Amino acid sequence: MSLLETVDVKVKFGGNVALNDVSISVEAGSVTGLIGPNGAGKTTLFNTITGLQPLTSGKIVFNGKDVTKEPPHKRTRMGLARTFQRLELFTSLSVRDNVRVAGEIRNRWSFRTTRMDVNAETDRVINLVGLADVADREVGEIPTGQARVVELARALMIQPTLLLLDEPASGQTEEETEQFGELLKDLARNDGLGICLVEHDMSLVMKVCETIHVLDFGTMISSGTADYVRNDPTVIDAYLGSPESVG
Amino acid sequence: MQTFLQYTILGLAIGGSYFIAASGLVVTYTTSGIFNFAQGAIAMLAVFTYWQFRWGWNWPAPLALLMVLGVLAPLLGAALYQVVMKNLRGTSEVTKIIVPIGVMLGFQALATWVWNPTSSTPRQFQKFFGPNAFVHFGSIKVSWHEIIAFVIAIAIAVGIRLLFVRTRSGVAMRAVVDDPELLQLNGGRPERLALISWAGGSFLAALAGILIQPMIGSAMSAGQLTLLVIDAFAAAMFGRLRSLPRTLAGALVIGLTTTYVIAYFPSKWTWSSSFRNSLPMIFLFIVLIVLPQDRLRGATVLRLRERFRMPSIRTAWIAGLVLMVVVFCLKVIMERTAVNTLTLALTFAIIALSLVLLTGFAGEINLAALSFGAIAVIVVYHFGTTGSGTAARTTLWGILLAAVVTALVGAVIALPALRLRGLYLALATMAFGVFVSRMVLTERNERDIFGLKFTIFTAGQLTIPKPKIGPFDFNSPDAFLFLCAGLFAIIGIGMVYLRHSGYGRRLAAMKDSPAASATLGMSVVRLKLSIFMMSAAIAGIGGVMMAAQIGTVNSDRFDILLSLSLMMITVVGGIGYISGALFAGIFLIAFVQMLDLTLKKFAVDYSSIEAIFLFFVSVVTVLPATIGITMGKNPSGAVSDIVAGLDQIKQSKPLVITLVGLEAAIWALAATDIITNWHFVILTMVNLFIVPVVGGKILLARAMRGVPKPVPPELIGIDRPFTFDDLAEMDRALDLEGVVVLSAETVREGATGVSA
Amino acid sequence: MSETHYHEDHGAIADAPLIELVDVRAAYGTIEVLHGISLSVPQGSVVALLGPNGAGKSTILKVVSGLLQPTAGEVRLAGRVVNGAPADELARLGLCTIPEGRGVFPNLTVRENLWMATMSGVPLADVEEIAYARFPRLGERRKQLAGTLSGGEQQMLSMARALSVNPSVLLLDELSMGLAPLVVANLYEIVAQVSQEGVSILVSEQFARTVLGIAQYAAIVLHGTITKVGTPAELEDELSAAYLGS
Repeated sequence: MSLLETVDVKVKFGGNVALNDVSISVEAGSVTGLIGPNGAGKTTLFNTITGLQPLTSGKIVFNGKDVTKEPPHKRTRMGLARTFQRLELFTSLSVRDNVRVAGEIRNRWSFRTTRMDVNAETDRVINLVGLADVADREVGEIPTGQARVVELARALMIQPTLLLLDEPASGQTEEETEQFGELLKDLARNDGLGICLVEHDMSLVMKVCETIHVLDFGTMISSGTADYVRNDPTVIDAYLGSPESVG
Repeated sequence: MQTFLQYTILGLAIGGSYFIAASGLVVTYTTSGIFNFAQGAIAMLAVFTYWQFRWGWNWPAPLALLMVLGVLAPLLGAALYQVVMKNLRGTSEVTKIIVPIGVMLGFQALATWVWNPTSSTPRQFQKFFGPNAFVHFGSIKVSWHEIIAFVIAIAIAVGIRLLFVRTRSGVAMRAVVDDPELLQLNGGRPERLALISWAGGSFLAALAGILIQPMIGSAMSAGQLTLLVIDAFAAAMFGRLRSLPRTLAGALVIGLTTTYVIAYFPSKWTWSSSFRNSLPMIFLFIVLIVLPQDRLRGATVLRLRERFRMPSIRTAWIAGLVLMVVVFCLKVIMERTAVNTLTLALTFAIIALSLVLLTGFAGEINLAALSFGAIAVIVVYHFGTTGSGTAARTTLWGILLAAVVTALVGAVIALPALRLRGLYLALATMAFGVFVSRMVLTERNERDIFGLKFTIFTAGQLTIPKPKIGPFDFNSPDAFLFLCAGLFAIIGIGMVYLRHSGYGRRLAAMKDSPAASATLGMSVVRLKLSIFMMSAAIAGIGGVMMAAQIGTVNSDRFDILLSLSLMMITVVGGIGYISGALFAGIFLIAFVQMLDLTLKKFAVDYSSIEAIFLFFVSVVTVLPATIGITMGKNPSGAVSDIVAGLDQIKQSKPLVITLVGLEAAIWALAATDIITNWHFVILTMVNLFIVPVVGGKILLARAMRGVPKPVPPELIGIDRPFTFDDLAEMDRALDLEGVVVLSAETVREGATGVSA
Repeated sequence: MSETHYHEDHGAIADAPLIELVDVRAAYGTIEVLHGISLSVPQGSVVALLGPNGAGKSTILKVVSGLLQPTAGEVRLAGRVVNGAPADELARLGLCTIPEGRGVFPNLTVRENLWMATMSGVPLADVEEIAYARFPRLGERRKQLAGTLSGGEQQMLSMARALSVNPSVLLLDELSMGLAPLVVANLYEIVAQVSQEGVSILVSEQFARTVLGIAQYAAIVLHGTITKVGTPAELEDELSAAYLGS
């Protein structure tokens, strides 16, 4: 059973079909990529998973449970965490407090028995993602690449089983992207996390994703390993424009 | 039937005037994104100016109208935009709210300065064609003025419609709403459009003021007029700050209902006049809450661009101790009146702490802090005192009860307003504040509420005795001074503790990114509610202390304008800091009063140039507002600047020693009566301002004598991007010819960066 | 830079590139998205910016159009440094930009949209004449709100502005987004004609193949830098790798 499955998800805005029967799956312990040209419906799909976008039809199954009707915060409490494309850091807190407060928020809603020792967990996560050197700095002072890692660390504090990342590479340098990719692979491999990545940066997607789903005009046009997707003529046409349409 | 028609016509005329003012708000908000809190103040200035021309100097009406509406009002609006509002682009929501409020308060002070309200002859403002120009329709008598007001309102509605459809500038104004960037790409000038719309908005405000003043039939009062046009806010909100037809509908509904209340409520209902006055505010509150939030424009998160550094708990304790010591030293040398002023300043500082907690820590906003103070005072007056005459004391339980009640009222206000943000939350709290002033604080008659005979605001003034807590009696001025200083210190230190707790971090998280907080599973409802309650309770306690210091308070002490001033000065002081609240109290009460007294004393001492000093006395009344208006340029507040300056000085031991030593010497001189208190104040100011500045200059000069420390070359491009100077420097160092300018050929060759 | 000045010198600089970017860097807030872009568009030619979304193509156009100030480097128009010039001034000087996602005002009618195009000095009657002659469909719908037009019609409306204001430079951002291939082909045909009239065109296009047929040069943008510049033929083979990794 997959960690997350979208089953024939359809979203209509007025007469426009933004997503047309899209079925993808994300496995625990692996990184899944979601790519496609601009306007393909990636963000809409992302929002249906987090619960911000209601479906016209279809369903979302998370951890074996149908969560189609659950509001976003319920899904969070079931173990779904996300990061933001536009950085959404708590700018009046230090790096450490950004991470710590996430744990504190989690302890507010988790059951008494599953409460964590926030300080210990904060230290563990900060070391895990490699933020120890900047832990006590103001979060506004660190470079974008590291800020993305802070968002990741913050998401990890709620001890999710599924992590959704919205374009984490934007604003990162190539080197930072590379390190970030390694970190994602480690998280999937060592902690058994399911990670779903919406990303334009193909170097990252191709390197870390075991499975890649390609969307175009709201429809899933291809799905498979990096090598398969990269050489799929349908995908190439979707990205470059079909050869017949040259004026 | 006759009454109905009579009042319908009056209602339409008043509603029409509201519409004129509201349409000005819509037009300016649309093109500049700034909600003009000063709209009412502009109307008020126009009314006074028109009065001056028309009856002060006996100009003919057309000339006076031309001058006010055709020349002065548009000029004022244009100048406001050009000098003040234009700079607000890209500043935080709080600044966008505070600066127009500063303008409003400034105009208010200016009007009181120019047109002395205590002047012996009341200024009468007449309807057009005089008070007796009526038309008779059958049995109904309608004044020409009312007809004119309504006709002009309709003409304005049609005129704006034509402007928006038939002229390129008008169409461009609508285009700005759709997409300001695209308009720029078309070659349009959004700035110029905003300028025009501010001129127009100011004209509309002036017109509304001149139409509405004679219809309310009372003598001209700057405060009343300013707030009168605030009633138009409700109409503008009903139109969602966008739709003019809806704005017109809203304005007419407000105009009609308020007049019907007067016409049809039984005369034995003594509260119907207050109810009529508060109706627009009730309307505003409901409209804000009922309107779907996503349809409201500008409902952005109240995000402070500035970052506030919280002091450590240890620093907070030290600062608290220092405050107590300083207060003690001051007390030793101060006269009784000065002690009273300082105490009052501290009570205001406590109220300002509630704003720091709410806005600085949690990113919410409350423009009616003193209204919560008023509620607390009412509670203490009725339930929280013991003894009578000079033996009367406020009890600890009374203060606690007041805090609990204000917290509950805070919750009642916050609950419906929870989903409101930024401007809309500000307006909702302001509606509450005006409602309290107009409805609750005017309750001077005995009411029979559920069998309980009760007068809320007895005889228009409440006497609050000094508190006695356990064995400690704080009746003496000195004891009460220490109580207030101690209370401020303890609440302040408590807030620092709070900020360093998990609760405080969650507040910060909610303030900085509601989206991220929500996705982490935070439920903001309880958090927001609790912070509103806590803030209201602090405001309540501060309000009780303020009333106890003054002794007997009337409703003016809780005026919304005073709340707005306090909020503005706290933002100036630094809304994220405990010290910002202290600054607000000291500045608003003690500093302004001290300047005022000093100048008046000089005016007496040097009577030959008395006029100059008296002029400056008036300047002082405008000062707080002026400082508020400059906020756009200094978003973190004045205190942070001073602290940043002191940080540099802290590096230099000699400078610190000089500063403290000099101050101690000045204090010793004052304590031994060698110098007077006046001299103490002046010397202290010289010491505090001059030594850091001069010392800083000396330090800087000394630092500059050495070789300027260059950025290590390996960090260029890492710490900051390369600049052309860096590249030129590099080229020089590497003996290259400099940056190669690309041309068509180099494009083909595939040059991608700086050629080497 | 005054208007007259610009036009006087127009002939003299005919050989020089009309748009030049020299080591331009730009950032949104603290996030730097262009890390040193150098590029030039010769007079009367079409240069295409290609690359996957999020690479920085649109940002380059924003910098040229004046909507975003570069943090370093120089933007030159007709040889003059125009860093810091406001977008509206550049627009009135003959720089026409069609931004991403339909450059129309949705709550204005077709005619009112065209009215806005007259800010650069062409009378409304002329703009309407050119627009309706070229796109008769717009003429039929002149009183309709632009927001209610189909995607293709909206794009026609924004192109009509480009055609009627006689620009010296045309910037096109993702013209094809969300449009049917036939409509896109039609639009690019018009772009090709415009360029033959001597207008210099810089176009950003995610769907590379749709624009390579009319572009003289193309540049591949990745990670906020230009990784490759050349003729369409030279780039054809590299495209797949650029978009989908290698």
